Amino acid sequence: MTLTTSSITPNEPNTGPAPTAASSPKPTWLQSAKRYWQLWAMLLPAVIFVAIFSYGPMYGIQLAFRRFDITKGLTGGDWVGFAYFRQFFSNPQFWPIMRNTVVISLWTLVMGFIAPILLALLINQIHSRRVKGFVQTVTYMPHFISVVVIVSMINLFLTPSTGILTRALAVFGLHDVNLLGSTGAFPMLYWMSEVWQHVGWNSIIYLAALSSVDLALYEAAKIDGAGRLQLIRYVDLPTILPTAGILLILNMGHVLGVGFEKVYLMQNPLNLPASEVISTYTYKMGILQNQFSYSTAIGLFNMAINFVMLVVANQISKKVSDTSVF
Amino acid sequence: MGTRHTTPIIAAICALPLVLSGCGAGQDANTDANGKPILNVTVTKHSLTKPLKDMNWPKALEKACDCTVKWSEVSSDWDTKKQAILASKKVPDVAISAFGDNDMATYGSLFLDLSQELDSMPNVKAMFQTDPKAKAVAETTDGKIYSLPADLQDLPQPKSNRRMYVNKQWLDKLGLKVPTTWDELYDVLEAFKTQDPNGNGKADEIPMDFAPIGTSGLGDGTPVHLLGSTGLPLTGTVYTQGIFVEDGKVKNYYEDTRYKQLIEFLNRLWKAGLISDKAFTQDYSQFQSVARGNGDEATVGFTWGSTIEDRFGAQLKSQYVSIDQLEAEAGQSAKKVWYLKEDAQRYLPGKLSISAKVANKEAALKFADAFYDPDVSIQARFGDMGTDVEKIGDKQYKVLPPSDSSKDSSTWAWTESLKENAPCWLQGKIEPSEEYKLRLEEDAPLADSYANQDPIKDQWPLEIKMNTADLNSISLNNSTILNTAVSNFGKWVTKGGVDAEWDSYVQTLKQANIEQNTEIYQKYYDAWLAKQ
Repeated sequence: MTLTTSSITPNEPNTGPAPTAASSPKPTWLQSAKRYWQLWAMLLPAVIFVAIFSYGPMYGIQLAFRRFDITKGLTGGDWVGFAYFRQFFSNPQFWPIMRNTVVISLWTLVMGFIAPILLALLINQIHSRRVKGFVQTVTYMPHFISVVVIVSMINLFLTPSTGILTRALAVFGLHDVNLLGSTGAFPMLYWMSEVWQHVGWNSIIYLAALSSVDLALYEAAKIDGAGRLQLIRYVDLPTILPTAGILLILNMGHVLGVGFEKVYLMQNPLNLPASEVISTYTYKMGILQNQFSYSTAIGLFNMAINFVMLVVANQISKKVSDTSVF
Repeated sequence: MGTRHTTPIIAAICALPLVLSGCGAGQDANTDANGKPILNVTVTKHSLTKPLKDMNWPKALEKACDCTVKWSEVSSDWDTKKQAILASKKVPDVAISAFGDNDMATYGSLFLDLSQELDSMPNVKAMFQTDPKAKAVAETTDGKIYSLPADLQDLPQPKSNRRMYVNKQWLDKLGLKVPTTWDELYDVLEAFKTQDPNGNGKADEIPMDFAPIGTSGLGDGTPVHLLGSTGLPLTGTVYTQGIFVEDGKVKNYYEDTRYKQLIEFLNRLWKAGLISDKAFTQDYSQFQSVARGNGDEATVGFTWGSTIEDRFGAQLKSQYVSIDQLEAEAGQSAKKVWYLKEDAQRYLPGKLSISAKVANKEAALKFADAFYDPDVSIQARFGDMGTDVEKIGDKQYKVLPPSDSSKDSSTWAWTESLKENAPCWLQGKIEPSEEYKLRLEEDAPLADSYANQDPIKDQWPLEIKMNTADLNSISLNNSTILNTAVSNFGKWVTKGGVDAEWDSYVQTLKQANIEQNTEIYQKYYDAWLAKQ
């Protein structure tokens, strides 16, 4: 996360000094490698890490096209082509699973994107350092609670007839609410708890971007007669927009990647029609039923969609706002 | 100076592999310091079970095989670890209660075929000769034996592991009779809800509660047991997939109209608020603790469980009785049944397997055989001679009550020995513990219902094994079938609508190849029947 900010700020036209290298003719790759070898050396461990742990295991993808046979190992099974993909697409559960995954992840994506920006803008308006620090700490603390604990909290609060929140709702005249067992409420429960947990933490990056605003800009705007909302509209928002853009593009890469643990833990027989998503289905097929090839195929399909979404989002962002990851 | 410092470091590095492989210099990894063979034994056990080194009886095993046993004891997360072990093909020399039939179907080649080694295992051979069913349970389709079962031959068994309980004290207080039909049950539950039978002035009674459904099929302790009211016979372990055998025909109850009838009844109960509103969302520990009530004030009126003491605790156990299966309708023609699990309780498959690559095969076979010695068997199952078991005579034993009175008998049994994880052959005359006898007594009211179920034509035989291809098709189909079934079950019970949606639901199940599953089961059943 922090890496992204530092790489964006130099591109930002209004802030920071213009890079000096831009004035000289563009150096070749080799020249630049020679001149900045220290930077390359710092990058090396990350490159090695990605190569070993992300690219290395990719050879296992062929499992999606082979019939896995324990005696012949990962790469030895018979080649079956797209049989496992066809099997997934023709499964009666395919559309419900896709719909659940998209609904849950879009809600989380959009809400999880907007909420930290709003929170950062609000916190930025607080003048007292102590209050600001306090609010920040309080809002980002939940980030460190384990998923299992969060889900247990949700379950306890929403237990029919005895949970705290269920009782609170009863005060407002909503009796016999069973949010835990409701298919309609599931996406909402998911994204609300997700946003609540991570909003503070995710707003830190925007606060960092906001702190780089030149104070002279505020003064100039105030002299021109700008009110508080206008300051936010014309100074704060443009400052964090590139950061927000990059984060959105990166998040698009997870558009079908609803986190496994939380959904799995929140599942119960009543909300199952709304809570079965690709990752939980893959787990049930692959680990519990030993259908390794089939679940690899589903996983690969999931990856392919995420990849396309990432590239598309990046291209759009490049055209529209000139910010892009690559 | 430099060389003096490096020498010990080099020595240490050289010694590292020796330390890691766990043996002294110059020794074979398969024998210990005295030249005795080493066996690496993995045993899965209950988290309450004390370490094996604190038990006396395992010493008899070491004596029998004349070897050193390195125990590795696993009591959590075995399913995840197991997959990694199997995938890496490095199974322990001997594994106890670790690998099941489904593992053997896929990974059988990793294990020693024990059918060829019976001559070196006299106890096991005797067991297979005396009780051919034990052999049938252990054998694969092509006659190989990759794992040995536990055979509780002479331990008196209840015919099922779940029974139906009702609070008798509440019934008496309200002047009600034990229900015998679904309609009577409805009235009783309604009285429980409205007439404050526990007398604390609060309407906190939970008329009916059942075990968490889980997301993969209806299991023990759920209302699935009421299917027997309609005459639908369930057996042992396959019923969670919906599979049952009725008059020689394999069927799936998830598409059976009698299942629909049950859902309609449950929906009626739910609408009247007679089922715990947490039934679908609580976890197992909540489900257990709520039935224990507050002090001597009971909260649950009607439920299912394995024993009264386990379900309601020592304080409340006197309030409850086990009851006979209900009838769906008064005077119905279908004969009520209760599900049979006798064989599945008597023969526990997959209790002991030996690696195909075991270095000390002879020792491993002796070790395995020693488990099936009568004296070792009884101790492996119940605990050490003297503290937990008393030997009365030749092959005559008495299981003793807990010597630590602060522990309840069930906790005690799990602490003292491997219990259900033990490979054993219980033979002779065994007098079970008092707690165990209660289980048999609780089973008594169900006698008529048991008698209505034909053990051949209405029961899925435990000893049937399937090949990998069939198992794969079944489990692949099941993922969709069970998912559809479970989520609809919850929806229909809580919101109704089973009547309108039933046809499209059955259509979805057909699309998920539910027929293919029943056909596979039928194929194996017919082959089995032909051999009877």
